[in-house]
Amino acid sequence: MTARRFWRIYSGYLFLVPYAVLFCAFLALPLGYGLVLSFFRWEMLSPAPPQFVGVDNYAEAFQSDYFRNALWATFRFTLMAAPLTVGMALLIALGVNAVSDKRRAFYRAAYFAPAVVSISVAGLVWRFFFQGEFGMFNAWLEPWGWRVPWLTDTRLAMKSIVFMTLWWTVGGPMVVLLAGLHQIPRQLYEAAAIDGANAWRRFRHITIPQLRPVLLFVAIMNIIGSFQVFGQVFMITRGGPEQSTRVLVQYIYETAFTHYRMGYGAAMSWLLFLCIAFFSVLQFRLMRER
Amino acid sequence: MTGTPKWIRLLIEALVLAGALLILAPVAIMAFTSLKPDAEIIHFESVLPQQATLDNYREILLNPEEIPLLRWLFNSLFISVSVTMLVLVVDTMAAYALTRLRLPGAKVVFAVIIAMLMVPGQIMLVPMYLILNALGWLDTALALIVPAGAGVFGVFLLRQFFLGIPADLEDAAAIDGCTRMGILVRIIVPLAKPALATLAIFTFMGAWNDFMGPLVFLDNVDKYTLPVGIALFQTSYYAEYGITLAAACLATTPALLVFVFFQRYIIEGIALTGLKE
Amino acid sequence: MITDYSTTRLRGVALCIVCTALLCVGCDSGGRATVRFWCGFTGPDGRTMLRMIQAFNEENPDARALMQRMDWGTYYNKLFVAGLGGRAPEVFITHVENMERFFQAGFLDAIDDLVDGAAGVDTDDFFPYVWGAVERDGLHYGLPLDVHPQGLFYNKRLFREAGIVDEAGDALPPTDRESFMDALTTLTRDTTGDGRTDQWGFVFTWLRTNMATVTRQFGSTYFTPDFDRCVLTDDATVAAFSFCADLIQRGLVPSPEHFDAWIGFRQGRVAMAFEGIYMLADLEKQSDLEWGAAPLPVLGDRPAAWASSHVMCLRAGLDPETRAAAWRLMRFLSDNMLDWAEGGQVPARHSQIDSARFQNMYAQAAFARQMDYIAYMPPVPFIFEFFSEFDRAAERVLRASASAVDALREAEQKVNVAIERQRRLTEAGGGP
Repeated sequence: MTARRFWRIYSGYLFLVPYAVLFCAFLALPLGYGLVLSFFRWEMLSPAPPQFVGVDNYAEAFQSDYFRNALWATFRFTLMAAPLTVGMALLIALGVNAVSDKRRAFYRAAYFAPAVVSISVAGLVWRFFFQGEFGMFNAWLEPWGWRVPWLTDTRLAMKSIVFMTLWWTVGGPMVVLLAGLHQIPRQLYEAAAIDGANAWRRFRHITIPQLRPVLLFVAIMNIIGSFQVFGQVFMITRGGPEQSTRVLVQYIYETAFTHYRMGYGAAMSWLLFLCIAFFSVLQFRLMRER
Repeated sequence: MTGTPKWIRLLIEALVLAGALLILAPVAIMAFTSLKPDAEIIHFESVLPQQATLDNYREILLNPEEIPLLRWLFNSLFISVSVTMLVLVVDTMAAYALTRLRLPGAKVVFAVIIAMLMVPGQIMLVPMYLILNALGWLDTALALIVPAGAGVFGVFLLRQFFLGIPADLEDAAAIDGCTRMGILVRIIVPLAKPALATLAIFTFMGAWNDFMGPLVFLDNVDKYTLPVGIALFQTSYYAEYGITLAAACLATTPALLVFVFFQRYIIEGIALTGLKE
Repeated sequence: MITDYSTTRLRGVALCIVCTALLCVGCDSGGRATVRFWCGFTGPDGRTMLRMIQAFNEENPDARALMQRMDWGTYYNKLFVAGLGGRAPEVFITHVENMERFFQAGFLDAIDDLVDGAAGVDTDDFFPYVWGAVERDGLHYGLPLDVHPQGLFYNKRLFREAGIVDEAGDALPPTDRESFMDALTTLTRDTTGDGRTDQWGFVFTWLRTNMATVTRQFGSTYFTPDFDRCVLTDDATVAAFSFCADLIQRGLVPSPEHFDAWIGFRQGRVAMAFEGIYMLADLEKQSDLEWGAAPLPVLGDRPAAWASSHVMCLRAGLDPETRAAAWRLMRFLSDNMLDWAEGGQVPARHSQIDSARFQNMYAQAAFARQMDYIAYMPPVPFIFEFFSEFDRAAERVLRASASAVDALREAEQKVNVAIERQRRLTEAGGGP
């Protein structure tokens, strides 16, 4: 290989250098550092230096009922939020798609708007809605003699959080699905209409199969996002009542920054990562097979 | 949809409109509530303020010593703009290298990047803090600007777009003796304007709304960004609802304005992420 | 041309001004000792403190205090992490019960030489309980700024309506268990007649401090005397928890709903609440509420009132000059404590409590009558672990999802695991 040829092929990497440096320093390094930390006992409260403890931190997580509780809360959130968000997003996308072109842009923007609001603000506002005593929802329900313990009932609190999340996040997947609907060739529908297929059959046999890749993409991204839920819970319930909404990320945050148990926190972070990776790979697989 | 009766289409649109209004309602309620005095907030009567007052806004805006809102606004702007510029430059080069230069190993690199999309940001909080401390960047804007350049989303988004640009243009330019940098700047970048605009807006909004980063990496009140500054209104013991909501409105307005003006780019950009491949 | 010339000149002048300003700023900070001061005072408290800091800076041209504030939750997380990174502020506030953590981590500097020095303070002026709480091994590691005890806030109008009044016809707050129960049964009622209670005699607001007061009044100590082991299953604690759970079961007190309960008091639908003196700012904004403040009623067999103090601490390892400036700031804040007390605090010094100015502060003076039996949370390094478990037990018992004995036993076990972990760590690392 001549030097000139070598340069032609490999000089392209130079374009990659600035990003690669940042990627290594601020993504790969912290990630690896976190993995190393997870095998150490490092409690910042004590002047004792970090100490290698093997898989002790992971073992502690599996034995801890708080960890199990947090994991279960995270699963519960994901199981409710992901299907609901994707389902609603599809429904809205179908609705908006049926509207004339001129007004479609407005609806699209309206449904997406909440995503622009930062979580600290959104959490503040929804906490105010859900308040038991002077919250708006209960003020509206009062005339009918209802008083819903939105955030104070262990069975209801997570559902309230899911409800708020639906509001906050439904816009993103909706927009993607809407674009997906756009790409379905019109001729398919026209041909089906000539064959006398009704609306349901057209939806079932054309829309859904054509939309499948987009739908799967949206579902994966949503599940990944749901596993990482933190802001809503932190702003609205702080994990209560009786820890029924304390999700994994919150538990990790508390372990690391309130109890200063860095090693244990890092270990749980990696377990969360593994959970997410497992589901993502599973879904990528499903996507390939179809 | 063709062949659907008109009344059904109207019904669907009515439902869509109702949904849209519902989804916008919380933002409107936030604005209305910020105009209420505290006493009216805790005795909820109606959404609209009965005695609208600007007192909450006045209290925030007229006490710059105690509430340096303009300072926070400037910090937010400075950080968000810097992050956006960094991300645009770095990610464009990286995405170009990964899609157009037929580099050996590009596939692997890209797979790694995709995998990183799954990594929860919180996992890196502790190590990141220690790294930034070692660099001496804590409590400076650098701590929020430079690490943001490592985000994988931009590379992912731009790559999706670059894949759709026909190769003959570049080949022609290469024959004319254009360097790679020249091709990138003169051909790819102008063609990728929509994608770049999308990325710019996304990055800007992400940086603008970032809460965790400034919360953990900044100490000095004068260096705070708007979202974290707003958290100052929420006390541990009780809340000054009126002032808090007024501050929330002030912090949300710039982001909403950016969205309203650029919503086409934003939305088309999001759509883009899900479609190619 | 003329216009051009004048704009140029104007620009020149502006440039000069900017440069001079920058130079001034530069000089300014050059000759002054900078003292960074961190606290968790947000809202009105934060603004009061900021004004005091500004006053300090005006009075002390050779020192410059820079105040940082964030809400307490974030504050402690940040303070500790900053300390480990060697970036802790020169002076910082900690609650007295959290001091042990910072002490154990080696963050704190003893102030005894400064207290006894030329610019010292008279330590006999401090309440012995308060001054004693900052002592470790014969040295003192912080200057107490204030005391914020819990007290009884009551709604005067509701008391009068229920006929619970003294000879003069004024609302009469309860003082012991009997009068508390009487008031409770009279005040908790259904005013609209729809079969649902809509006016409550009492509510639990912040469970942690409410339960701390009640358990202390029943005689709980939470730990063995040497803080070796957590004890929550003793008769006193179980009895206190059961007493409170029973009030809810009998429908006299609503099931706890976070902090909404306090809003209920502000709305005038709740007659009594045990809350900290710092809630004052909140009530003072509520012009339509006729509220009163009094010492807590004694529900157990002894008087006790949950309290905490903000303690000003000095970072270890400061150079003498900065240290002296930092001390001057601490003294200044302590000396001007009465300005701070206005916002809803009780001073830590006798002379200040006895002053006419303080005695004229209605609620503060009422709550200060409890100073002889205030009770801090225990000074243990694993206080946050203790709080999480204590809070959880209180929540479970008062929400009736576990019996007092079961919930407390579980909490006790969990805290003891944390203590054990701490001990192993200390032994392994040759720590403090």
